[in-house]
Amino acid sequence: MKKNSQPSARNHRTRQRLRIGVDTGGTFTDFIVISKEQQFTFKVPSTPRAPAQAILTGLARAFDELRADRDASPEILLEIVHGTTVATNALLERKGARTALITTAGFEDVIEIGRQARPDLYNLSVTRPAPLIARELRFGAKERVGADGEVIEQLRQSEVKALVKTLRQAEVESIAISLLFSFANPEHERRLAEMLAALDVPISISHQILPEYREYERTSTVTINAYLAPRVSRYLQELTAGLAQSLPKQQASQLRIMQSSGGSISAETAAREPVRTILSGPAGGVVAATHVGALAGCADLITFDMGGTSTDVALCRGGARTTNEAQITGLPVAVPVLDIHTVGAGGGSIAYVDAGGALRVGPESAGADPGPACYGFGTRPTVTDANLVLGRFAGGGLLNGEMTLDEFRAAAVLDQLAAEMSRASGTVVTREEAAQGVIRVANANMEQALRLVSVERGHDPRRFALVSFGGAGGLHAAALAASLRIPRVLIPNYPGAFSALGVLLADVSKDYSRTVMQVVESGSKLPRTIEQEFHVLERQATADLQAEGFTTAQSRLLRSLAMRYRGQSFELEISAAGDPLAQFHQAHRERYGHADPQRAVEIVSVRLRGVGLSEKPVLPRAAQLKRHKAKAQREALVWLDGKRKRVSVYDRAELQPGATIAAPAIIVEYGSTTLVPSGWKAAVDGWQNLLLDSVRSLA
Amino acid sequence: MDSIKLEIYRSLYSSVAEEMGVSLRRTAFSPNIKERRDYSCAVFDRRGRLIAQGDHMPVHLGSMPMSVQAAITHCKLGPGDIVVLNDPYAGGTHLPDVTMVAPVFAAARGKRAESSRNHDAAAHPLFYVANRAHHADIGGATPGSMGTATEIYQEGIRIPPVRIVRGGELERDILNLLLYNVRGREEREGDFAAQMGTLRVGAERLLEIVVRYGFKEADEYAGHLVEYAGRLMRRALALIPDGVYEAEDFLDNDGETDDPVRIAVKIEIRGERVVVDFAGSAPQVRGPINAVAAITVSAVYYVFRCLIPGDVPASAGILDPIDVRTPEGTIVNALPPAPVAGGNVETSQRIVDVLLKALAQAVPQLIPAASQGTMNNLTIGGWDFRTGKEFAYYETVCGGMGARPGADGISAVHTHMTNSLNTPVEALEYAYPLRVRRYSVRRNSGGRGRYRGGDGVIREIELLTDARVSLLADRRLMAPYGLHGGEAGKLGSAELLIADQKHRRGHVAKRKKLPGKFSLSAHAGDRIVIETPGGGGCGIE
Repeated sequence: MKKNSQPSARNHRTRQRLRIGVDTGGTFTDFIVISKEQQFTFKVPSTPRAPAQAILTGLARAFDELRADRDASPEILLEIVHGTTVATNALLERKGARTALITTAGFEDVIEIGRQARPDLYNLSVTRPAPLIARELRFGAKERVGADGEVIEQLRQSEVKALVKTLRQAEVESIAISLLFSFANPEHERRLAEMLAALDVPISISHQILPEYREYERTSTVTINAYLAPRVSRYLQELTAGLAQSLPKQQASQLRIMQSSGGSISAETAAREPVRTILSGPAGGVVAATHVGALAGCADLITFDMGGTSTDVALCRGGARTTNEAQITGLPVAVPVLDIHTVGAGGGSIAYVDAGGALRVGPESAGADPGPACYGFGTRPTVTDANLVLGRFAGGGLLNGEMTLDEFRAAAVLDQLAAEMSRASGTVVTREEAAQGVIRVANANMEQALRLVSVERGHDPRRFALVSFGGAGGLHAAALAASLRIPRVLIPNYPGAFSALGVLLADVSKDYSRTVMQVVESGSKLPRTIEQEFHVLERQATADLQAEGFTTAQSRLLRSLAMRYRGQSFELEISAAGDPLAQFHQAHRERYGHADPQRAVEIVSVRLRGVGLSEKPVLPRAAQLKRHKAKAQREALVWLDGKRKRVSVYDRAELQPGATIAAPAIIVEYGSTTLVPSGWKAAVDGWQNLLLDSVRSLA
Repeated sequence: MDSIKLEIYRSLYSSVAEEMGVSLRRTAFSPNIKERRDYSCAVFDRRGRLIAQGDHMPVHLGSMPMSVQAAITHCKLGPGDIVVLNDPYAGGTHLPDVTMVAPVFAAARGKRAESSRNHDAAAHPLFYVANRAHHADIGGATPGSMGTATEIYQEGIRIPPVRIVRGGELERDILNLLLYNVRGREEREGDFAAQMGTLRVGAERLLEIVVRYGFKEADEYAGHLVEYAGRLMRRALALIPDGVYEAEDFLDNDGETDDPVRIAVKIEIRGERVVVDFAGSAPQVRGPINAVAAITVSAVYYVFRCLIPGDVPASAGILDPIDVRTPEGTIVNALPPAPVAGGNVETSQRIVDVLLKALAQAVPQLIPAASQGTMNNLTIGGWDFRTGKEFAYYETVCGGMGARPGADGISAVHTHMTNSLNTPVEALEYAYPLRVRRYSVRRNSGGRGRYRGGDGVIREIELLTDARVSLLADRRLMAPYGLHGGEAGKLGSAELLIADQKHRRGHVAKRKKLPGKFSLSAHAGDRIVIETPGGGGCGIE
């Protein structure tokens, strides 16, 4: 357990809050507890079969801890924010509810046909994920709405009644409704939902979940929602009941759930709209990174979360971006999702020489089982083995020495790889050369991901900081930053509970949108109807935020427009503050290198994000920063730039704010190791962040 | 050669091609490009050899290098130049596929381009970048430029390699000449701009690589990548038992006569090399299904690339160990002025079917039964009363995939030489005076067998205005074959539901069976129903 006393907290509100962030992972459930007096983090083992169990165990532990610190007064309002994988896992394992789908008659197969493409071009044994709902449970309603919202064929009452009867007989546990052009005219969907309410199962309605065009993507999204709703709702009820039982002394507790968009939402809403949570796994880290980065003076940053099998990167310019084009296991999820790019390179990625003689790393990973060779069981070289062979763990093992690493085993698998590389290239490749090659190739893969979110989208990496928080990232971050000419790397505090901190920091947010398809000729102004559309969404958002407990003063309404040139198919999301038309041309030029202000612009959708500003826990900051040279713990021999070098090793837990470290150096901590290569220097800031700065000119 | 650098350059060059693709898709105007992704982007070394191509359209694979060669041969390329072409007989495929090629010079940046060109006339390009995109219309007799024809002149404007940008300056005259000969001028202009913008993106990225690693190494590894792909292909060939494998299959007809059109192949595998000989294939035909040699090469390329396990950089090396022989004047290597619109989309599929049928004798455990074997090219064009402009809608319709040894074929999916997406109904009805009445899986159309062929689909579209409707489709008479005792997939079909114009509006007065290839005029209220073929089955049920 890690503790920070916080003597100088601001006394800002009359009501005292106790906040707990909980992030459920595959192996551990992470907790961060923040009260007025103190904050601490810990882990408990996850309980995948009954995920609520681990949370209740952890909460009990948190309260024991607090009582010991005479803090658990019954007056406190308990606020729990939770990042959950219940929805994600149910989808990945295909263990959702028996769900029916109602579409416009003649379009029952839209989710089966998809976009008619195959996921892999040159693979004769390619497969496509089966639709979530089998043909027998997809029903057509005779009705039709046209592109302008006009009713072409009325939905007859007799038709609805027949459907209700059929669905009752089908004994479904959940229903999805997605009719053509429901975003333009939701009347038919509404009527169906009203009548189907008699069946007393959750109903997911497309114009409510996602009133945007493209029937396959919308139907897929609403289908996923319906498929997950009963299970997620059960889980959240269980958890809420468990909370009520185990915390009888608390006057009130509030449970919020992390969404994929980087905002949280009440448990009730999450139970209704679980599709908004399925890609929330990596969101906590990104939110925490933007918060910690802003405090440290890096508002523009690229997050770099390197784990065992993959690496997530996201570009945040004054905040994280969202996208509406996400997919999970090949199924589109068109609700806002943090724009995180994932690449199949991580510490466990396996290196091999292919039939053509190229050294490949990943995407196959040794995972947790068998794991890298140096963990004792794996038989193939991984990135972690390469790092070990090069001495980059500074001889200390992992997790503060709780886990020893088998250097001989790592050396043996890299010797094998070196032999293969020698055969392929016709020259002698040593073990260390092979290991450095593995790291260079892994870095090249991760660099492509970083380039994709920055350079390829018109952003100059030199204006960004790289925030690295994955367990495996510290050894690679500086090298990657150098290759992209990123001048600063920030390795935040709270390495063990960074995601949990993120879910706790997340504001409450609700996304609203509607496809409107309005053309704006060049030289014209935004049509007035756009303003009206925003008003409608804003009324809804204000009411919803109030229901979540936010006053107008605590709320923000962020307007944006999805725009494109008339005739294009992909939109850019532009803030509706200021002059959105000018901003659109500008953004098009930035992103694609050309723009044409003479062309008519089309406003595809109006979008609104309602934000309830959560009260942010104050992170402890050193009262003053005294610059001093950190004291090295010991020295280690490490391969750097092709040579074996003597490198100072520091223990991060010992580093005080203001400490500076010269390269080359290795900084070890529980769960992570950071390499400060030559050309860089390191310092600890007032929040205990580790800052790596390039000392070379990057101009 | 260094195994590490080889991998790093593989990843560098292929990400340039992929980025060009993303940029093109997101900025294009033709539904064919932006929604259906009917395009390809590629990077070539200074000798014009393909070193990377995005995973876009297989049918463009073998033919992109010929475009670059044609551009180099026909035009003296300087910094800031862009060549445009679509002539199937000079590096193209069929007329709607417009290709743009740009040389990448060390100094080719911004306005200095013109001056540096004068100063350093001897400078050679470091790389070439190219892209090809299927435009919604390129002129000719039929809206959408994919109709029936007997000469290439009826199929649209034919563009030999010409410079559309010189020294960074757009040749407005040439652009206008093109724009005045196509339908949907504004949309075409936007697509041309998108294609040119994409080339600039590609050039910029390549120059960044040169700045970072130096041209000497970048060029050396471009060469290594070509050899690398060649090694992978030779490995794959070595695993196929030596022997001579022959097969034939037929296209239904050419749309002009009723004669089936034969495609024959003899594949001779000897160690790490293969000769693919199309001798015995039918002479070129009157109708628009002739394939130019580039397409035949693409189909061969596709099939053999599918036999290499794992991913391979799409580089010139893949074809090194493969000797493709296409007799001139035949359906697989047509000569001008034969019409070719369907060669790219229909004949290419049949060439794949024939190749796979032959290879099924050599490596039966890897080869699927015939897939739908057509792209069901549907074009509807006319006057859009809502916008007061002409429109041209073009789309390919998916079908059944052939069963694999060990797995059913996928239903409702594009196979082999295309992977273009459908147009969402909600995008289509917004953009065109059309209404989709039905879009469903055509149940039980896949061939029966131990493993079942995938099912085709049914797509029914109502015209909201009078329009010209064209279909280029096949497998209406010659069913997709099954393998190892599996049954053939069901034939495709098309039907026109003629609306009752007098008495009961919105009701069908008459149904008319249509052939696989036609162009006809239809009226508002009429509906066209396309049923696409199922895939063949595999093994005895």
